[in-house]
This record gives sequence, structure tokens and C-alpha cells, in this order.
Amino acid sequence: MAHVDPHGVMAKKKEKEVLKAKIKAAFLDSFFVFYSILVVDRIIWSRFIMQIKDVPFSWGEIGIFALVSVIAGVAWSFSGTSLSARLFGLARPTKTAKLTFEIFGWFLFNITFIAGWIITKISIVDLFSDEGVTAAQRIFTSLFSPEMAIFDEALFAIIETIYIALIATLVSIPITLVVSFLSARNLMNDNRFTLFVYGTLRLLSNFVRSIEPLIWAIIFSVWIGIGPYAGMLALLIHTIASNAKLYSEAIESIEEGPVEAISATGANKLQVIWYAVIPQIILPFLSFTIYRWDINVRMATIIGMVGGGGIGTMLIQYQGLAQWHEVGLIVIMIALVVWVMDYISTKIRQAIY
Amino acid sequence: MKILQVDNIHKIYPSGTHALKGVSFDVKEGEFLVIIGLSGSGKSTLLRCINRLHEPTSGIIHFLDKDITHVKGKELRELKQKIGMVFQQFNLIKRRSVLTNVITGRLGRLGTFQSITENFSPELIEEAMEALRIVGIEEKAHIRADALSGGQQQRVAIARSLMQNPKLLLADEPVASLDPATSNSVMHYFEKINKEFGTTVICNLHFLSLVRKYASRVIALKAGEIIYEGLPSDIDEKWFKTIYGEEAEEVEIR
Repeated sequence: MAHVDPHGVMAKKKEKEVLKAKIKAAFLDSFFVFYSILVVDRIIWSRFIMQIKDVPFSWGEIGIFALVSVIAGVAWSFSGTSLSARLFGLARPTKTAKLTFEIFGWFLFNITFIAGWIITKISIVDLFSDEGVTAAQRIFTSLFSPEMAIFDEALFAIIETIYIALIATLVSIPITLVVSFLSARNLMNDNRFTLFVYGTLRLLSNFVRSIEPLIWAIIFSVWIGIGPYAGMLALLIHTIASNAKLYSEAIESIEEGPVEAISATGANKLQVIWYAVIPQIILPFLSFTIYRWDINVRMATIIGMVGGGGIGTMLIQYQGLAQWHEVGLIVIMIALVVWVMDYISTKIRQAIY
Repeated sequence: MKILQVDNIHKIYPSGTHALKGVSFDVKEGEFLVIIGLSGSGKSTLLRCINRLHEPTSGIIHFLDKDITHVKGKELRELKQKIGMVFQQFNLIKRRSVLTNVITGRLGRLGTFQSITENFSPELIEEAMEALRIVGIEEKAHIRADALSGGQQQRVAIARSLMQNPKLLLADEPVASLDPATSNSVMHYFEKINKEFGTTVICNLHFLSLVRKYASRVIALKAGEIIYEGLPSDIDEKWFKTIYGEEAEEVEIR
């Protein structure tokens, strides 16, 4: 038996953690300084105060800013009075440290808000200009006097949309199940291989999820051509990635007791999953899936606009022709369907629990 | 005949906690061994090392004259089949029937496909009913497990472990979440299994009155080490203070 001193192990661990925190704090502080210099110089000073339209850009200048920020940030961080020092619990308990935290915190918030205001080009004048208001009035009156002649066509299109969403959701279920079990940490920490599968799947699904369904629809409409199939695939791939995350989190938060008890009987992994894991996750899974169908109906309307078929495609066509009465009918129908779907999915989910 | 030999077991968790510091003892077939000690003294860890829910860091455990300290895979599952375990929190599958819960005790000997399709033979169901009869709740067989009271759930858990036909039954504070009256009745079933089937029982307990009533031998753990081993009747005031600390007062539970 190798002699192990638990206290020594713990002390070393603590030391390592403090060092890690110090390095993180220094990085973050450098970033804060860099960010402040950039925002104040580029946006608030040049664009707002000096009213320069095209602010000249050079990597050299940015490099100098970065260098200055790193030096200032690291120095500031190690003085123990910085913002991050406080965030990571490394700050000295002095009044100066507390004051710096408050002042710089407020400063960061304010420059960010001001920069955001400038970049967004917020203008009350534009919102209430005469021609603007007239144009808005024209559209709104058209929207509220919908053209009923295209009702049949719109009805078929919206049914198509609902089916696109339904098929995407149904097809996603078995795939999501497999992916979610393989990307649940508590089921995959047996050995290096399973951890590798876990890591890869997590990475992949994070990547897929971070690309919006709208972009996926564009990709698939180029890949297999414009139409409902492209829309369905876009929804499917995003549904798998999103629900796999929710499912696997549900798996990770199950009670460990039954798992321990079933594996203590000598059951194998599949039996443990079937008897101790699945009964605990079946309701959350159902609930997520039904909610996702609801989300998919909304998304299917948007996806239609970039060539995913259904009511969205129809909407973008009439909008392109500036036929606002027809657009009005379509918008009202979408709103109705979305509202009904939302109602139904809420009711079903309430009934399950 | 010795059924279990624990030899100089250490357990260090990845967090650095040194839970067991060189624990050694033997268990003879048919014994009712009770392990006492404060929370955190290593009792639960010790039980989990015996049925290998945890792997000891060092030391050797022999079960039925076989070194089981580091067995893996199929061998490990076969070991677990022979050792039943009952937990403080019962750990039943809440949404399933009592009967299904009892049948899960047999999973180790059922094929994967058969258990997942839940295609159980009438003989198996009859055996499960018999196990429920032993703990006196066969009339609850078709009720959902979470509809039962705590004491009833623990009896179902005992029935589940009986389905393993265990050589050794481990119980990790089986009555710690139950009221005194129910505690006694649950302990009574352990005694029954020990006496009638000759099953060896190792049980973690808190209350000395229960220890005196049911144990044939006692081991006391303190901070991961055995500080007392002997008959329950030999634990006097002085030992009690050593085991539970100077502040402790003995609480009667009947």
C-alpha cells in the first residue's frame, strides 16, 4: 500500500486551484482593459464625439492597445484590487478593492450601454417621421383587411408546414434517444473510449445547435433543392441537437439510488438503463418532444421563407410582390395555428405531469 | 466456515477522502454482523467495497474463498448476483409495480432481450410473489412502488434482494429513514431471513438498542478504522463514548 497523505493531496489541489484562478483573473482583467480602450476610443470618441463615419482601422494600432491592456491588466490583477480578482475571490479585503470593483463595474456597464445605443443607431425621430408613419399605416390596414381569395391555397400550405414540423419531430425521437444516452456523462464515464464518444457527440451537437435552423435550411435547400424536404431536414438536425442536450441533461440529473440498486443485483448496463434510468426520464422526454413540435411549427414558417416549403415560402412570395392583403391573411393564419399549437402542447404537457 | 475475509482494505476517493484505513475482519456463514459508527466513519463505503459497487484502493477481499477485490465484467456481475443489498433510501423504481421491482432482483440471471421485453415466465412471477409473501406484502404486488409507505417500500427492497437467492445480504442503514415501530418490523424481516434461510447478514445500524436485539457480532468503525469488535452485550458506557464521542447519550428505540 503506497502511503498517501490525504491532507497533502488536498493542500496541493487547493494551491493549484488558486494559481489557476490567478491566471484566469489576469486574462479576464486584460480583456476588460482592452475592451474599455476599444469601446471608448473606437465608438464613443471617434464615432460619436468626433462624428467620423468610417473610422480608420489598422492592426498596428489594435496591437498596441492589446499590449498596453495586457500589461495594465496583469499588473492590476496581481495588485489584488481588480474586477476579476474580486470575481474569483482573490481580492484583498480592503476598501480600495471594493471601491475599484464598484467604480469599474459601473464604468463597464455604462460604456457598453452607450456603445450599444450608438451602434444600433437608435433614433426617435425616424420612428415618428411622417412618411414612415404613413407607410406603416398602409401596411397595417392591408394586414387587417386580409384577402380571402387565397384562403384555400394558404390552408394547404399551412397544413404542409404542420406536417413538416411533425415529421421532423417524429423522426428525431429515435435518433435523439440514442445520441442522448451516448452523451450523458453519468452513463459514459466507464472508460476512455466511452468518454471519447461522449466528448465527440457533445462537441458535434453543440456545433449543430449553434447554427440556426434558418441557416440549415439554406444549406439543405442548396444541397437537395428548395422544398419541404429541405425544411424538414433543417428542423430535424436542429431538433436532434437541441433535444439531445435536454434529454442528456435529464439523464444526468436522475436519482442515482435506483441505478446503484439495480446494478447491485448483477444486472448488465442495458438492464440498468432499462429499469433504473428510463422510468425516471420518460416524462421529461415526452414533455420536451411535444414542446419541440410546437417550436418546430413556428420555425417551419420561418424556414419556409428561405426555401423550406410550406406557408413561409408562400408568405415570402406575396411579400416580394408587395401584396399586403394576401400577406395579411397568411400572417393571421400563422398566428392562429401557432396559438392553437401552443395551447395544445401546454395542455398535453400539463396532463402528463 | 468463513464466507467473507476482508484484509487490510483502504479506500481513497478521487476527492482525496481516505474513507477506509486498513480494515480487516472475517465473517462466518450464518452470522448477523452489525457495523456501527458515526456518519462518515466509512460504514457505507465498506459495504460498497464488499459487493464491489466501489473498488478498494488496496487490500484484499475474499468472498467464498475467491479473491474478488478487482474482478471485472461478467465475473463482477456474477459476484453481485450472489450478494443482495438493501439501501437506506429503498431505491425502488418508483413508477413500476411492486412485482416488477421484485423481479429486478433476478436481472443478473435473465437475458438482456428477455428482461427488456419484460417477458417473464409464470414460474418467475410465482417466485417473486413468494418473496413478497416472505416479507408479508403479497397483496401489494400490483400497486406502484411509490404508492407504498416507507416501511413497505423497504420490505419490497428486501424481497427484491431475496430474488437473488443471496449468500450474503448487505443492508446500508436500512431503517434510518423509518420510524421506530417500523424500524423494528423491518429489522425483524432481516432476522427472519438470517434464521430461516441461514443467509449471512451484514448491516449498518445507528441505534444500539436494535444492535443488541439483532446482532450476533458487532464491529465499530471510527474515522475509517475498526475500534471495536465483539459481542453486542459487551458494549458498555465506556465503549459507547469511545465510538460515538464524549457528547453522545444513548437513545432507546424499541
